[in-house]
Parts: sequence; structure tokens; C-alpha cells
Amino acid sequence: MNNQPTFSNREQTKILLRLLKYLKPHKISVFFALFLLTLTVIGDVLGPYIIKVFLDNHVAVLNFETKPIVFLAGSYFAIQVLNVFISYFQLVKFQEIALNVIGQLRIDVFSKIHQLGTRFFDTTPAGSIVSRATNDTEAIKDLFVSVLSSFVQAAFLIVGMYVAMFLLNPILACFALLILPLIIMVIYIYRKYSSVVYMTMREKLSQLNVKLSESLSGMGIVQAFRQEERFNDEFHQINNEHFRSAMNNTKLNSLLLRPVIDLIYFVAVVLLLSYFGVSSFETAVEVGVIFAFITYINRFFEPINQVMEQLALFQQALVASSRVFALIDEEELEPAQQQTDYEIRDGFIEFKNVTFSYDGKTPVLKNISFTVNPGETVALVGSTGSGKSSIINLLMRFYEFEHGDIFIDGHSIKSYSKNELRRKLGLVLQDPFLFYGTIDSNIRLHDKNLTDKEVQAAAQFVQADQFIEQLPDKYNQKVTERGSTLSSGQRQLIAFARTIATNPKVLVLDEATASIDTETEVAIQSSLEKMRKGRTTIAIAHRLSTIQDAELILVMHKGEIVERGNHQQLLSQKGLYHKMYLLQNGIVE
Amino acid sequence: MSVFLKLDWFFKERKKEYILGLLMLTIVGILILIPPKIIGYVIDEIGSRTLTTVSLLKWIAIIIVVALVMYVMRYYWRMMIFGSSNYLAKILREKLFCHFTKMSSSFYQERRIGDLMAHATNDVSAVQQTAGAGVLTLFDSIVTGGFVIVAMAFTIDWRLTFIALIPMPFMALSTSFYGKLLHERFGIAQAAFSDLNDKTQESIAGIKVIKTFGQQKEDIADFTKLSENLVSKNMKVARVDSLFDPTISLIVGISFLLSLGFGAKFIVDGAMTIGDLVAFNTYLGLLVWPMLAFGMLFNIMERGSASYDRIHQLLSIPVEIDDKVDALDTRPAGDIIFAVDDFKFPGEQKSSLKNVHFELKQGQTLGIVGKTGAGKTAILKLLLREFEGYEGKIIFGQHQIDEYKKSRLKEAIGYVPQEHFLFSTTITNNIAFSNIDVEREKVEHVAKLAYIHEDILAFSNGYETIVGERGVSLSGGQKQRISIARALLTNPELLILDDSLSAVDAKTEEAILQSLKNERQHATTIITSHRLSAIEHAHLIIVLHEGTIVEKGTHEQLMALKGKYYEMYQLQQLERLVEKGGEADE
Repeated sequence: MNNQPTFSNREQTKILLRLLKYLKPHKISVFFALFLLTLTVIGDVLGPYIIKVFLDNHVAVLNFETKPIVFLAGSYFAIQVLNVFISYFQLVKFQEIALNVIGQLRIDVFSKIHQLGTRFFDTTPAGSIVSRATNDTEAIKDLFVSVLSSFVQAAFLIVGMYVAMFLLNPILACFALLILPLIIMVIYIYRKYSSVVYMTMREKLSQLNVKLSESLSGMGIVQAFRQEERFNDEFHQINNEHFRSAMNNTKLNSLLLRPVIDLIYFVAVVLLLSYFGVSSFETAVEVGVIFAFITYINRFFEPINQVMEQLALFQQALVASSRVFALIDEEELEPAQQQTDYEIRDGFIEFKNVTFSYDGKTPVLKNISFTVNPGETVALVGSTGSGKSSIINLLMRFYEFEHGDIFIDGHSIKSYSKNELRRKLGLVLQDPFLFYGTIDSNIRLHDKNLTDKEVQAAAQFVQADQFIEQLPDKYNQKVTERGSTLSSGQRQLIAFARTIATNPKVLVLDEATASIDTETEVAIQSSLEKMRKGRTTIAIAHRLSTIQDAELILVMHKGEIVERGNHQQLLSQKGLYHKMYLLQNGIVE
Repeated sequence: MSVFLKLDWFFKERKKEYILGLLMLTIVGILILIPPKIIGYVIDEIGSRTLTTVSLLKWIAIIIVVALVMYVMRYYWRMMIFGSSNYLAKILREKLFCHFTKMSSSFYQERRIGDLMAHATNDVSAVQQTAGAGVLTLFDSIVTGGFVIVAMAFTIDWRLTFIALIPMPFMALSTSFYGKLLHERFGIAQAAFSDLNDKTQESIAGIKVIKTFGQQKEDIADFTKLSENLVSKNMKVARVDSLFDPTISLIVGISFLLSLGFGAKFIVDGAMTIGDLVAFNTYLGLLVWPMLAFGMLFNIMERGSASYDRIHQLLSIPVEIDDKVDALDTRPAGDIIFAVDDFKFPGEQKSSLKNVHFELKQGQTLGIVGKTGAGKTAILKLLLREFEGYEGKIIFGQHQIDEYKKSRLKEAIGYVPQEHFLFSTTITNNIAFSNIDVEREKVEHVAKLAYIHEDILAFSNGYETIVGERGVSLSGGQKQRISIARALLTNPELLILDDSLSAVDAKTEEAILQSLKNERQHATTIITSHRLSAIEHAHLIIVLHEGTIVEKGTHEQLMALKGKYYEMYQLQQLERLVEKGGEADE
């Protein structure tokens, strides 16, 4: 991620245009803001003009009639005050538009994340997905808030100044136009070098931070192997490189930002003075006009300085935008469902010749077929990598499969609406993930239709109520990040309650292997038994004792079902299951 | 101002740069007064039609020379002052990093890495700001501002200067006030941003749960709420931020109006010329920045001071465990006697170890079993001298471990931690961590011992494959085996495997244990494990429960005891069989 790409002009324009498209819903606001901006520019332009009139018509000729002077002073003051208000609203409006655009972009990114398939999450580090939705959009915010709005304001002000100058003195205004190419040249040169220098500095900074955070995380190892000195040296080296690139950046800014713009300002002043000086040799020159021009030129350079300082941000925002758009354009979507109104009533499940592979090469499930009758339990047994989890992944539609089919109540699983599947299939994950919030919010999970009674009933059903009632705030007890204050058994019970609250037809269990203390384990087992009653259940079992009553036990190995049958049948087969059973009862052969 | 005093040492170190830089700033402050004057003269001469080609050329030449000199000076003072502030950031970072490498594990237990990072980034850059922009604003507001006022008062008209300056203090006051308000609101917006960040992180970590319960829509609604909250907090920032420009232009406008009105009166009275008035107005324009700077100064200093204090505080934390004055400069070797009567982790009430005594002859292997929190890790941490303050003795060879130099003790111990941490560099560099220049043969040798050689060769770049976040992602077992190879490279007197075989399969575990046995016949090994197969062969096995030894002996002795160890063993036999799957038939 550290190699910042550079973009061709065409790519830049493409990214910019795509960003600008987000302004569309705010068309009216944009026009309104631009209108206000025009007003403030007119105000800015009028001020010096009034002073010019004052100087030429009154001061230079020593004519101090009260009425016109009061009028001039009054209008100058009024324009100033009005301008203050208008420009305030204009500035706020621009920021509002920019912030709303970014807000929308952020929501778009987040919504897109939810459409993506499990495969995408398997291959993309979570940290980088998070930073698309947050840090990168934040960088684009800077682009909109600072860069674009100061560009627009500068452009308007410059045009306004030129219009005023043309009205005052077209020939001189033409001369003043001469400095534009100069400024454009400086911008061009600055952009050319800063895109390298600034980006190098950013890259060194991120290397520095990576080194720092890695060293801090691995400090135990560094110290255990007595490598403090080496790490100090390495850090020193990166720190030095960063310092050098920061100095280059300071140098470039000192050479090409404010100092050079000030230099151009003096070129403009010299141009003005020469023009007025030379023309004064022939005809009288109105002093007020000189004043007005000097003022315009003074003002002219302020927005240019501002724009120049924002240029460095521009490149960064472009990089961020390209990353955000790449995510929005990502095509690894979750499996599609047909929109039918089929309903799951019985929970009859059939796997028919299902073959599946994660990478398209090595199959993890080979021609799997089995059926589960409504209300019955099938247990999957086998080692890691045997394919147990893949069966659950397919049933839950986390991954799309091509060969074979899975039927529920006679219809292909692909034909059910997403809603129906989510409502009727209840999955309990091996790692019970809890969200930041309360016990209550973790059981109901956004479902506002659930009453408090129902939530409590669900907890009661899985026997989670015993420990919840003992908590100081009961159901409103705060759950910290990942539920770290609760034991893993308690977390599992909450996850059970969460599933039971939705009252699913089919229960899918990925049994916990984490070290759970014996007391909660007993509670968990009896809860599981209760949950399975009346529901079709597919369970991955690590502890054989829990599945003796399963109607069907599938022993899996390397993507195939190697033994199948109920407890008694498997015992009489005298295969692997038989061995396990003997061992379990302490009878070692 | 206090922050400048605190940074005193630095200004002294960079005396030359600061003096030169400020000198140039002063010269710029004087030179900048010249062009407005010249503009005034030219206007007067044009007005009175006394301007000649020669005088025009003279004035223009002066402006050009002044402009060029100013350009050069401006370039140099920036390099001097901003350059120095870059340098300050560099040395502060270096100091912090060096300090971090000396801190013990209790330091890292008490602090979050994110916070430490924030000190090394945000606080450092706030202090950097003080030494750069802070010095500049202080100097600009006082010196440059002073020069302009002096020039206005003495070369044009002091009465007009006084009148025109009346609104200016409001600018300093209001910008200072806005600055403070902005900082507060910005902090709130930052908090809203970090809420959003946390939410996103959580959603992605819990994506399966959200998918399972079909709660995408609700989750997006949740996110939308947070995003809207962030927008509204940012709007509050924007509302203050947008106050700056209009306020400044209002105050400058009033100043202008005052100076024009009264200036016109003075012109009529003959006290000044139109050219003077134009020059005066240009000077007023020059005052805007120093006044703004004055307003910003306090905020910059306040932030810089707070940040500097935080950095300083961090740097003054003493090194906790250090060598004794006459520490032995020898590598410990020999028998280990562990006799700890009581040990509590700092800040904890409950003892983590109570009456833990065992002896280990050189070349023997010790196995430690017990649940999480039973005290396994505490024993290892004490052996590694990461914590002190226990009752009892730990002897390694001839002496207690705290009599050796810390670096020599660590040299004798090869530690493979529970959390297998690899650095994002090549596999070779990770294995050769303790001796980065070691020959390739040695790296491969220990990789073979740890049964990771074949795996490494299977990677596209072999030993040069980059691992970690930006490289190949390894399985837990592969990481563990690389960690073992890393520890073996030092050929340690004592090898500690802290539950470091948990993610490798049973067959590989057996092979690694066998190769350790062959290779390290005369060296001592301590293994902690959940899985008993890893310690079955040990000369001595201790079973820990809540910080005390409940069973002790060899595998056979413990099995005969039919106690805790026996129970665990029976249970695990079964699980092992399940894990082996269909191959169990052999």
C-alpha cells in the first residue's frame, strides 16, 4: 500500500469527474452557494472602486461635499457588512455540500461492503477495508472542503478582479493578464516536483509509522533476542530518510510557494507602476485608478497562495479516491438469490451431489449427498479440513457453488429470497461474536419487533437468564468490545439466545471448541438439546458425547463422507466411530 | 511562553540556525516596508506630474532589488526555522524510540500501542509546530507587526496610525477565541470519526453474524446514523472555521474606512499626501498577518506545551529492571533451581504463583501443564526476568538470575512465545533475527530442525519470501515453527517453548520434539502446553492449578496417580484420534 501510484492526466480527470457526480443531488445548493460566492466577489470588487471614486472625485480635487461622501462611506460600510454575512453563509454552504457528499460516499462504501461475498473478506485484510470507508473518505473530504472550494473561490475572485480591471483600464488589464502564465507556470512546476517530493515524504512517514508500530508490538521479541540496538539503528535510518524528505519538502515549499508568489506580486507592482509612470509622461493619470489597481493586485494574490498550499493535498485525495472507487467497483459479490415467495415450512434438507472448491482447483467437497428429515439432527464429524465447515458455508450461502444442488423443502436453496433464508436458518458460530452495546441489544440485534418479554424468554430458553440476572444491570448490562468482560461460555449462551429469538426452522451449529469451564459447559449442552427439539439441525460436533442421539452422523474425511449412520449403526460398523466410542468410555484396546 | 522555556535546550542546540533565521526575518520585516513607501512616492509624483524616466527607473530598480533580496531571505529563514523544527521532530522520535526499547513488559501491559503511537506522531508534530510555526508567529506578531506600526506612525502619521489600529486588537482576540472553539469542536468531530471507525471495524469483524441474521439493512442504517452524526459534528467545526475570513475582512474593512476618512481629512489639512494614504493602506494590509499570528500564537503554544509535557512524562519513566552494579558478564549455564514462594503481578491482589519449587538438571526437559491463568506464563516471565519482586530464589547455574547481566541472561535463553510474532520482512531475516548476518546454512539448519524448511521452499521466493501484513500470510503452525527456528538459531542454554506447538499437527509435533531431543542433548528445555503429547517425554512434569503445583513427576508416575493429569490424558487421546480422522485406522 505504500507505493503511491501516480496518475496520468486522463485518469485524474476521470476520478475528478466521478467525484463531481456526487454533487448532482445537491445541484440547487451548489447553485445557491455559487450565487452567494458571486455576490461576495462583486462586493470584493466594488469596495476598491468606491475608494477610487472617493480619491479621484473628492480627495484629489479637494471637493468635500458632505452628501456624496456620506453616501460613499455608507455604501462602502454597507457592502463590507453585507459581504461579511454573505461570505459566511457561502463558506458554510460549501462546507455543508462537501460534508454531505462525503457522508453519502461513506454510506455508499459501507453499503457496498455489505453486498460483498465472503470470498472478498477472505482475501482482503480487514484493516484495509476499514480504512477505505473511513480514512480514505476522510482524505476525499479534505479535497472537497479545502481544495475544491478554495479553487472555485480563487477562480471566481480572479475573474471578478479581472472584470473590474478591464472596466477601469482595458490596456492595463491586458498587461495584468501577463502575470497569469507566470503563475500557471509556477503551479505547473510546483505540481511536477511536489507530486514526487510530497509523496516521498508521505511514504517515508508511513514507513516510519509502520516501523514504530511493528517494533512496539514486537518489543518483547526484540528484547528477548537483544536486538534493541539493531532496531534503534534501523529506526534511526528511516527517521533520517524521513527527515531528509521532510527537508526536501520544506525546501520545495520555500522555493516555490509563498516566496515565489510574493516575487510575482512585485513583478505585477512593477508592471503597474511602469505603465502608470509612462502614461503620466503624456497625460494626467487618475490617482484613484492606481489605488484601485494596487488594491486589486494585493487581493488577487491571496487566493492564489491559498490554492498553492492545498495542491499537495490534491494528489493524496486522488490516490484515496481511486482506492475508494476500486472498492465500490468490486465484483466479488455475495451469492445471488431469486426473488420468489417460497416459504420454508418443514425444514427438509437435501444435499445432492454437491462438489465445491474455494479456489476453483482443489475440491474441498466431493460429490456430497445426504438428506435430513424435518426435526431431525445430522452431525458432522471429522478433522480440520475434512469439509465439515464447507457444508455449513454452502448451506448458509456464504459461498456460491456450481456443481450439484441443495434443496430445502424441495426447492433449490438458490430460489429462496434472502429474507426467507435468513429468517428460517439460524446459525450459531464457533466464535460467538458480540457487538458493542448491551446484553439486550446483542440478543435482539436491531429487531425492533421483539418485545422485552420475548428477549427474556429467549434467554430463559437457553438458560442464559441465570447469569444475566446476576449482572448488576441485568439485560442492560454493557457489553464491551467483543464482549471481553464475559466468559466464553456466557458469550456462547448469548449467541444461542440471539438465534432462538428469531425462532428458526433450521438450526446450524458450529460447536465451540474453546476452553469453556465445566459449569457453563453443562449449561451449554442442555441448552443445545432444548434448542434442537422440533428443529432440523445440522451440527459440527467436536465432542462425540453431544451427538449420540443424532438421527444421522456423517464422518467426513478429505471432502468425502467416509462413514454414515446413527450411533448404533456406526458402532456396529467397527470403524473409526467405534474406536472413538470405546476410547470415550475408557476402554483402551 | 513556558513551552519555549521547556524547549530551551533545543534552541541552544540550534542557536546558529535560529539566530540566522530570525535575523533574516527581521531584515524581511524591514525590507517589506519599502515597496509601499515607493508606491506612495510614485503616486505623489504622478499626481504632481513630477515623475521622470530616471526617477521611475530608480524606484522600479529599488523594488526589484528589494523583491529579489526578500525572496532569497524568505527562502533561507524558512529553511533555518522550519528545517530546525523538522530536526526537532526527528530527535524527539529518536529519543522516544530508544526509550521504548528499554521499557519492560509491564510498561507495555499498562499502555495501548495506539496511545504510544499517538505520542510519537501527534504529540511530536504538535511540538514541531511550536518550534517552527510557533516561533514564527511569535516573532512575526511582535517584530514584523512592530516594524509596520513604527513605519506607519513615524513615516506617515502617528494619529492616523492610532485611529486605524483601534479595530485590530479585536482581530487578535476573535481569532484566538475562534481558534480555541475550533480546537474543541475539532476534538468532538475527531471522537465522532473514531466512533465511525470502531463501528466499521466491528461490522467487518462480525460480518458473518450480520449476514447470518440478515441484518445488513439495519447495520447500514446504524452506520448512516453515525455518519450523519459525524457530518453534523463536522458542520459545527465548519461554522467556526468559516468565521475566520469574514471576521478578518470586516475588521480590516473598518480599519480601512477609518484610515480613509481620517486620512482624507489630514490630506485636506495638508498633513499628508494621497501617496501617503495609499502607502498607509498597503501597510494596513501588511498588518493583517501579524495580528492573525498573534491570535494563533496562544493556541499553538498551549497545544505544544501539553504535547511536550506528555512526551517528557513518557521519557522520564525509569528503566524498571536494570543490571546490578557488579553484574556478572558471563553467559549462565547449568542447573536451574526455581524456588518461588510468592509472586504477584504488579497492581494485582491475587498471587499468581505460590510455593512453586522445582529443580532442573542441565540437559533435562521440564513440562508444565495447566489451564489458562494457572501460572505457566508467570513462571516463564520470571525466568526471563521480565518481572521482579517475588519471594524466593531463581538460580541458573552458579548464581541467581538477577546477578547476571540482563543481556547475558537473555543470550542464554531461547524464548518461543505464545503469540507467535513475526516481523514483516523476509523469512531469513525472521529466523536470523538474533544474528542478522548469520550464514545461510545455519538458517536452513534450524529451519530443518523446526520442520519448516520444506514449507519455506514451497513459497514462491523461498527463504526470501516476505511475511506479515504486507507479504504472504502464513498459517498459525508455520508461524510457530518459524518462531522455534528463530529461537534455535542462538543455540540457547535454555529453550522455552511457551505453548508453541499448539497449531502444528500431531505428526509434526512429534518430529520437532524428536529433532530437539537429538540436537539439544546437553541443553535444558522447558515446554508448556495444553496438549500433553508435547510434554509426555519430559524428565519432569508439573501440573499447575491456580498458581500452585498440584501434581509433579514423570509421565508414568502421573498416570499411575490417576489424578488431574490422567484425566486430561484420557480426554486428549480421544480428541487426537478425531483429529487424525480417517487415518486413525493405521
